This record gives sequence, structure tokens and C-alpha cells, in this order.
Amino acid sequence: MRHAARAVLTLTLVMGAVGCGGRSQTSDASGTPASGARPAFTPVDETAAVFWDRQTTETAELLRTLVDDYNAGRPQDLLPVKLEHVGGYTDIFRKVSASIQARALPAMAVGYQSMTSEYVQAGAVVALDAFVQDPAVGFAPEDLGDFFPVVLETNRYSDFDNAMYSFPFCKSALMMFFNKKVLADAGIEAPPVTWEEFFAQCRQVKEKTGKHAYAVSVDCSTIDGFVYSMGGDVIDGQTTLFDQIASVRVFELFEALAKEELAYQISPGTYDDETALAHNEIAFMFRSSSARTSIQMLMEGDDDRWGMTRIPQADPANPRTVLYGPNICVFNTTPEQQRAAWAFIKYFTSAETGVKWALGTGYLPIRKSAAKDPQMQAFWDEWAYNRAAFDCLEFAKSEPTVAGWQEVRLLVEKAQTEVLTGIKSARQAVLDLKHKADAVLAQQ
Amino acid sequence: MMRRVLPYVLLGVGTLVVTFPFVWMITTAFKTQTEATMSTLNLWPSVWQWRNFAETFRAAPFARYFFNSFLVAFTVTAAVIVTSLMAGYAFARLEFPGSRILFGLVLATMMIPFEVTLIPNFVLIRRLDWYNAYPALIVPWCANAFSIFLMRQAFLSLPSDYFDAAKVDGCGHLRFLARIAAPLVKPMVVTVGLFAFLGSYNSLLWPLVVTSEEAMRVVQVGLTVFSGAEGVRLHLLMCASAIVILPTVALYFAAQRYFLEGSIGAGIKG
Repeated sequence: MRHAARAVLTLTLVMGAVGCGGRSQTSDASGTPASGARPAFTPVDETAAVFWDRQTTETAELLRTLVDDYNAGRPQDLLPVKLEHVGGYTDIFRKVSASIQARALPAMAVGYQSMTSEYVQAGAVVALDAFVQDPAVGFAPEDLGDFFPVVLETNRYSDFDNAMYSFPFCKSALMMFFNKKVLADAGIEAPPVTWEEFFAQCRQVKEKTGKHAYAVSVDCSTIDGFVYSMGGDVIDGQTTLFDQIASVRVFELFEALAKEELAYQISPGTYDDETALAHNEIAFMFRSSSARTSIQMLMEGDDDRWGMTRIPQADPANPRTVLYGPNICVFNTTPEQQRAAWAFIKYFTSAETGVKWALGTGYLPIRKSAAKDPQMQAFWDEWAYNRAAFDCLEFAKSEPTVAGWQEVRLLVEKAQTEVLTGIKSARQAVLDLKHKADAVLAQQ
Repeated sequence: MMRRVLPYVLLGVGTLVVTFPFVWMITTAFKTQTEATMSTLNLWPSVWQWRNFAETFRAAPFARYFFNSFLVAFTVTAAVIVTSLMAGYAFARLEFPGSRILFGLVLATMMIPFEVTLIPNFVLIRRLDWYNAYPALIVPWCANAFSIFLMRQAFLSLPSDYFDAAKVDGCGHLRFLARIAAPLVKPMVVTVGLFAFLGSYNSLLWPLVVTSEEAMRVVQVGLTVFSGAEGVRLHLLMCASAIVILPTVALYFAAQRYFLEGSIGAGIKG
């Protein structure tokens, strides 16, 4: 609890510190650094385009290989890319926030939209539109059309002239993971398609097996995905929609699941839901599609025992889920650093590299042409559910990119915990959440 | 009979509760990932996975991390002992204008959370050009209010007659501190040293913020490589943790006697 309180305090303080930078637009919407504005930030390394990332173990190894490949084949007039592991996303946010105050930044870093929004406010990142459209170094129209629209849209920031302040890096979709054995023990043949079916199956699992059906990992992205799948949205302009029917239904679902002891909350920051699923202790969990590799490892290759499918829907004919995963943003340092960062981003998001990255990590390919790639097709043929997440890209929706959303995320997670623990009713929780979240957004 | 046995039973239960996490950590270090994540309390691995240690050392350059951690922790410990001895003595024995206010200000710094000073300290480190360098890991931690407070309390417990007698023999403050006072408060010096060592050796956020080169990283940062956004390699994390805590456990046992004496002397719990 003390650690959680410290984490919240730190996050609040660093957000405050970033906010202290003020909304100084050092670059215009086209990505060209504005003249006469605050001077650009100093690069942390003059001799290389430093990339702050969070990948670990095998994925870090793969990224290092890709960086090495890029460096070996890059035009000699461009700086080499230097990969630096900076801990988790919160650590990266803290470090970038502190570096903004120190006015020295790397060339690029991974981050979620809510993090990038804070950086934009401090004038620390450049818009990438000019790079994207540049005839020499940008994407040709047909090349740009190869990206799934949602992965590009998620990098446009409505608060900042809808400019593209980041570019897709690791994309995944919220999915439902299910344990076939537990479902079979409860007499269920197929996973639920609608939320009504989901709730009924949870009851059936509890009744027939005595087990909790669902281990809940408290997470704002999951709530967003549930709201989308209920046919709603979480924000309209600068106003949140947590008091609307779709959001109320989501919180009421959690309230009912908790009351009937069909679900339980796992310890924050742990992966106990993945473990419970692997050990046949629960029937369902909701996580990013990138959790597939981790579950596969925990299941020790027994792929007949589990599956992964799109989340239940209010209207299965118009499915929705949340698209998440970090992006790369390019910092407002020297033009030389920016050019090097963009060249690497372009290489990394090429069709060929994208497939390598997707196959090696479990993240989704962000280009439509990946569907025709023989290696990708072979991978999808290996297991019936391997393609499920990719198919979600057609209807997945990104999360809000407005400034202040990072703080709203904490409020959403607090509200979810209050409902799951019975501190507040779902109705009360959504009303309080809306009130507080709107206040946060109004302050931006 | 019951009155004699009960304390031992309670102590035994307490010992079990305290040692269980350590035993769990060590046995988990020898399990497979699946076994490690079982929710049962089965401590023993079905097959001892010795290769976990090789995998752990392959995942990150732990040898380099250990070197950095020891260098930083021992330097910080030595510096904290020196600064707290001198400041503690000054606050306990020297009379100078504003000493009470100054001591109050020193104590007040204990009320400021680390998170508040993180960004200003980082900005300072950048301006001093200490980013990715040992001074960034060492200098900010060379003095702290808690250690100064502990040493002051220890010096206050010494009879002033000692100093008076030494003064008659021509002994100055510095000599009295080095030759007489410091040896008399040895348990407290060891306690301050242990706290300083543990604080430095276990720190994560500050080294993560002020370094980025692999060559400058410390062991606690090394532990983060086993936790990703998609899951935790629990068996490898426990394996690395078991290795990482070894020096602190060894140090504690070596200095246990002084540590307990120091803690009791200061009226604090260890």
C-alpha cells in the first residue's frame, strides 16, 4: 500500500513537474521546429540517436538485433541508433520528465499517448507530420495506406491540432483469454460472444466447478475496451462520458461479478490472473494480445487447454475493442538527431521489419500487407487463435490522447477497485469518477 | 511448564513467519516457471533447475552490476560515517549560534519525500555533467539527516567529563572525536554504516534515472530485466534476488552484535 501510495505521489509530482514546463509550442503542427520559441533540448548523446526503451529478455534481444541491422545498413550521414533500457513505462516517464526539466533528452523514447501528451505540453516532442509527408524521407501514399488506419489515428493528438506526435511501435488489442478445461468442466463448449453470455457463463462456472470465473486485473485500458464493446465511448472533447449508459453497464458488471463472487481482484501490478488461468483456477482473463507468449509459456505448450478471442460485445455485428501498446515519440533536440530517429522509425515500421517484430514478440503487425506475408500466414496456421488479435485491428479503437489522461487513468482504476471491493456502488463510483476526471481535464 | 514453553512456541512461529519468504525465494530460484507460479505452498522443486543461475547471468551483466553496487555502497557508507560523525558531534558537543535552528533544519529534511527532490537533484546532476558517472550515484547520498541524528544522540549519551578531562590534557575537538568519542560509540557507527550500506545497495529509482549505460548500472536495476509488460519470469527473478541479497545478509550477520547494541542505544528498533 505504501509502495502504491509512493508510486501515485511520484507520478503526480513528475506530472506536475512536466506541467511546469508550460505549454510552449516549440514545434508547429507540421513538425518543423518553430523559430523564436524556446531553444531545442540538448541531446543526451551528441554522437548517437539514443532510444529509451523498456523491452526485456528475448524481446530486448530482438530489438537490439534490429537496431544493429539498421545501424549496419544506415546511410553514413545519419547518426547510429543507441538502444538504452530505462526500466518500465513509469520509469521512462519519470526519466523523461526529469530530463525535460534538465533540458537534455534522447532522440526518441517509447511511451503511451497519455505520456506523450504531457511531453507535448512541455514542448519536448516534435510533430511527425512533416517527416511522414516529406517526399524524400516520408512515406509514399500507397505505403502510408498500408498501415491500419487506427494505428496511425491513435498517434494524432486532438488537443494539439490533431498533429501526429508519435508513431506506432508495439501494438496489441484487448482480448479475452479462456481456459477450455474449466469451461468444459462447467459444461460450456464455446466462449461467450455477448456480455450477457459472459455473465451467464461466469455463473455456470461458479455453480458447476466452485471456482471464480474471472480474475480481474484492475486497469484503465481494460475498462476503456469494455466501454467500447458496450457501444460507448469514454470521452467527448474535454468531457468524460463515465456517467453514460455504456460505462455504467461496465461498472455494474464488475459490481455484480464481485457481489456474486464470480470474480476477484488480483494484486495490482502482478500477473496472478495469467497464473490462475494456466493452473485451471479460472475460466477467463482479459489482457493485451501480447500476453499470448507469456500464457503459452505458462501453459507449457499445451495449446489445447486455452484460447484467445475477441472480448464479448453488446452488438457482435459491430464489434469493438481497445487498441493499445506504446508508440515512439521523437524529441525536440537537434535536426540531426530528429532525422536519425525518423529514419530508424521508418525502418522499424517497414513491412519486412514489422513482420519480424510481430513474429518475435507477439505484438501485432501494423500493416495490412502482413496478411499476405508467408511467414505470418504460417504462424497463423500453427494455432487457431494466432490470428484472432490481428483480425481485431479492423475494429479496434484507440484510447484518448488528451492531456491529463494519465491522471484520469489512475482515477478510473481507483473507481474500479472501489466497486470490486464494495466501497462504492457502481452508480456512485461512475458519478464520482466523472466529476473528478472532468476536473482533471479542465485543469489542462 | 506452559509458561516456560509458550515463549519458545511464539518465537518459533515468529521465526517461521519471518524466514518463510526467504526460503520460498531460494527454493523458487530452482523451479521452472510453471512450478514457480503454482499457488500451492509446495516449497520443494520437483527437479532442481541449476540452469536458472546460468540463465540469470545471461540475461544481464550482473558481474558488472555487482562491481558498481559495491563501489557505490562502500563509498557512500564511508562518506556517511564521516559526515554523520562530524555533524553529530558538532550538534551534540559544540556550542555555536543557531545550532538548535540548524539542527531543526537538518531534521526537517527527513520530512521531504525523495520523490519531491528527484527532479531538482536530477537537474543538478545534469548541470554538473555527472550523468552516467559515479559521482551521480555517490555524492547526493554522502550525508543524511537520520544518520546525523543517530550520531548526535550517541554523543549526547557520553559524559561531558570525558571531554573536560581530554581538554585539560590539551586534546582538541577533532582529536577527541577521532581518538576517544568515535571508538566509544562504535555500535552506533556500525548501525549508521549498515543503514547507509543497505540504503545505497537497495536503491533503484535514483540509479535508474541518473544512468543509462549498462556499464554504470547497479544490481537492483538488473532485477528489472525479469519483469516486462507481459509478465514476470518469477523463477529467474527469485534466482537473481537470492544472489543479490547475499552480500547484505552476510554483512548483517557480521555486524549483527554492533547493530543490536546500536539500535538499543539509540532507542530505535532495528
